[in-house]
Formats: sequence, C-alpha cells, structure tokens
Amino acid sequence: MLIFTDSIIGGDKMKKVISIFMAMSILFIQILTFVGCEEKSKLNKYSNYYFDYFDTATTIIGYEKTQEEFDATCEEIKTLLNEYHRLFTIYNRYEGLNNLVTINDVNDGKHDVVTVDKKIIDMLIFAKEMYQKTNGNVNIAMGSVLKIWHIYRNDGLDDPVNAELPPMDKLEEASKHTNINDLVIDEENNTVFLADPQMTLDVGAIAKGYAVEQIAKHLEEKGVTGYILNVGGNVRTIGMADREKWKVGIENPDTENKEKPFIEYLKIAGESVVTSGSYQRFYVVNGENYHHIIDPETLMPGTKYRSVSVLTNDSGLGDAMSTALFLMDYEDGKKLVEETENVEAMWVMNDGEQIYSDGFKNYTFDYEAEK
Amino acid sequence: MKNNNSQKNQKLRNDIILAVVIVLIATAGLLLFVFNREQGTTVSVKVNGTQIASYPLAENREVPIKTGDNDEHINVLVIKDGKASISEADCPDKICVETRAVSYAGETVVCLPHKLVIEITNQNADGGIDVAV
Repeated sequence: MLIFTDSIIGGDKMKKVISIFMAMSILFIQILTFVGCEEKSKLNKYSNYYFDYFDTATTIIGYEKTQEEFDATCEEIKTLLNEYHRLFTIYNRYEGLNNLVTINDVNDGKHDVVTVDKKIIDMLIFAKEMYQKTNGNVNIAMGSVLKIWHIYRNDGLDDPVNAELPPMDKLEEASKHTNINDLVIDEENNTVFLADPQMTLDVGAIAKGYAVEQIAKHLEEKGVTGYILNVGGNVRTIGMADREKWKVGIENPDTENKEKPFIEYLKIAGESVVTSGSYQRFYVVNGENYHHIIDPETLMPGTKYRSVSVLTNDSGLGDAMSTALFLMDYEDGKKLVEETENVEAMWVMNDGEQIYSDGFKNYTFDYEAEK
Repeated sequence: MKNNNSQKNQKLRNDIILAVVIVLIATAGLLLFVFNREQGTTVSVKVNGTQIASYPLAENREVPIKTGDNDEHINVLVIKDGKASISEADCPDKICVETRAVSYAGETVVCLPHKLVIEITNQNADGGIDVAV
C-alpha cells in the first residue's frame, strides 16, 4: 500500500509508473501461481479398489495421463493378484488347480506328493529362507496352531458374548506338528510333500507380501512407474508419485486416540512399508484383546510391542520381517535389522515409546511443518 | 492555480480508482484461490471400485449408503466437524464402524464385506498423505 500513498502525495510520474509496474507484477505473480498449480502435474492421480484377493482390501493408486492408461495397468495387476490369490489361498479350492489347500488336504489320508505351479515352489522356498533368517519366528508350518486360533477368533467375532480362548492343551498338541523340515520341496519336479500328515501350511505372514513384490517387480520390468500397491496394509511403491516422493502415514496403534491418527510420516520412492500391530485383527475375550500374530514359543498372541513397522525395498521381506520383529525381543530384532541389508524398522513399545533403527529417520518428515 | 488543483484532484481520483481496482482484483484472485483449495477436500464414496457419490468434508451430513446387488445392505456415512466415519452398518465384522474417523487426504474407511470405501481426496494434492500403513 505504501507505493500508492507515495505516488499520490508525490505526484511524480516516475513513481506512478513504478507503482503501476509493481501492482502489475503482483497480478502477474498471482496469475503465475494459478497457472503453476495447473501445470505442476501433467499426470492425474487415479485410484482403484479390489476386494476379492487375500481376504483383504486392495488399493491401487497410480499417476497416469488418462483413465484408460490407469485402467489398463489395473487390469494387469488384477489378473496377477487373482492368479497369486488362487495359488496361495489356504481357504478356497479351485477346479483343476493345485494350490495350498490341495497340499494341506492331501494330508487327509492319501498322503502323497502334489505337483504345483512354480510360483508356489518359489514362495515356499522363500518362506523357508525366512524361517532361517527370523530364527523360526516366521514359520509357515504352524498351520495346525493358527487354524485353531482362526476358528476361535471367528467364533468370537460372530458371538462376542461367548468368545473364548483356545485351550492351551489343544494348542500344544497342534504345535507338535509344526516342523518346517517336514515341508519337503522338490524344485526339479515342482512337487511338494508334507512328511508329517498332521502338519498344515499357513502362509498368512508371508504370501501377501511375496505376491505384492512379484507383481511390483513385473510392473517395474515393464517400465511402469508412479504406482502404489496396497494389499491390506502391505504397501509397495513403484517409482515416485509424479515428481515427488510418496507420503506414507504410519497408523497410531492407539486407535482410541482420535486426535493423532498417525505417529510418523515417511517419504519413499520405490520402497515398501509393512506394519504388524496388535490393533489390526483381534477379538475380545473377557475384555482383553487377542490379536492374530501368534508367537511360536508361547502359542499366544505376541505381547512385546504395540506395533512394528518395517521399511524395505522388498515387500516379501518386509511382510516376514514385520511379523518376526513383532515377536522377537528388541535386542534380537535390532541385531536382525542391522545384519539385513536395506531394512529399517520402527518399534512402538507398549508404553507408546517409538524406537527407530539407525537409518529409519532418513525417511521420515515433519507432516505438520510441510502442510 | 485552480485549474492545476482540479487537474491534481483528477489525477488523485484516477490514482485511487486504479489502486482500488487493483486491490479488488488481487483480493478476488486470492479469495478464489483459497476457496478452490478449501473445496479440494472431499469425501468420496466408492462401491466395488466405482465412485457413487462425493461430498465436501466441510459440510456436516449423514447419508445412508446402500450396497449389495439389490441394495439390501447399508452403511451410514457421517460427516461431522471435518471428519468422516461409518456410524452404522449391517456387515458381519463391523470393522468399518470401529475404524476411526478420517480427515486427511489419502485416508480411507473400508467395509470389506460390502466392498465399500470412504476416501478423503484432495484435488490439489498438497497436504494429505498417499497411503496409510
């Protein structure tokens, strides 16, 4: 405003020209801001949802020029999700397809080798690697134990008043049939054999992340970029969000805290983030929450943390590591993170304290400051 | 001298008019910009991947959303004080009802059995997150 006053009092032509020039500049800058916003991202952000895979909701977010291009990529993702879901499910049978249900069912009497798709063989080999790596905390041979929890949890959710815990003797009996070495894989002939007829496989801690990773890799090889695959909280980014990094909010495990939905924010481009938390999938018995991540030692839900988030470049590893770290003592977990390449973690302790691995903070940002 | 004075007055008036016009245009522009930004935050309702409705997050309302092949299922969307949540639903697991109210762009409330997603979206993409884990 000073410039106008100046010109009025002074009446100097030069000053007036300057004042008009400055006013025009302000307008010009404003116009630029408008245009700038329009032109900043030539790509549009699209999203799509699927509900039929891995018993959870799938979100696909992508930057493309047109809806058609986005839809085409989604179709491809959907086809792959469907394929992996049918192979890795432990609940559904499909006509003419040998999947994990087939492997588990052959146990009932016949007791023979099953020929399966190479994708199943690769996933099972990865699962065995993860068993070694996590010191047995991720064990896909725990099907017999997890099945009992699954039944009690579903019954408890259907009828909360009569919700019960599985009896320990039942769990202990089942845990006798959880030896990973009884899973015999023949890579050459693509066959699987369960040497313990009472053993069953449950790939819940691994298959989703593994499948997401395979799909993401496939898309990357085809040159796809600017996407997020989020299968039930198993997040894998592909490239950047248009020209910026993706912003990820890590959920507050204290779901009662309505003021603070997120406890940390990350910026990533190409990495994966997976959280295992006691708040995610649980049922209530006598006022206590019992969640779905079962400790192979105690056969009960893990109680060491509220949640553990894992940041890595491999979603399959992230899925397994988040489960393992959630069940391991902090010292052991920290060591595991340090000796594994490209893995960072954040532990949320039972008192709410957040503990970070050395490199985790390189990815965090202050959301409020950037808003 | 008189003539000079009126000339000066004329000049002064022109200056004032110019100043007022510029300030008005600038203010209008700024207001429009801010208003557009505010409008960017909406609650989008998607059933089985298809958007069926969208509402401004700033307006309080309660909307029953019918889902299922014959509209036989229901979820009640509540938008209140800049937050969106599901207050009631006839789904078996009630996870959507238990999910906390969402307000950040990128946040969602999902009802898996009804294939329903309530999503906070922001057209201007500044602020908000891309995904919650």
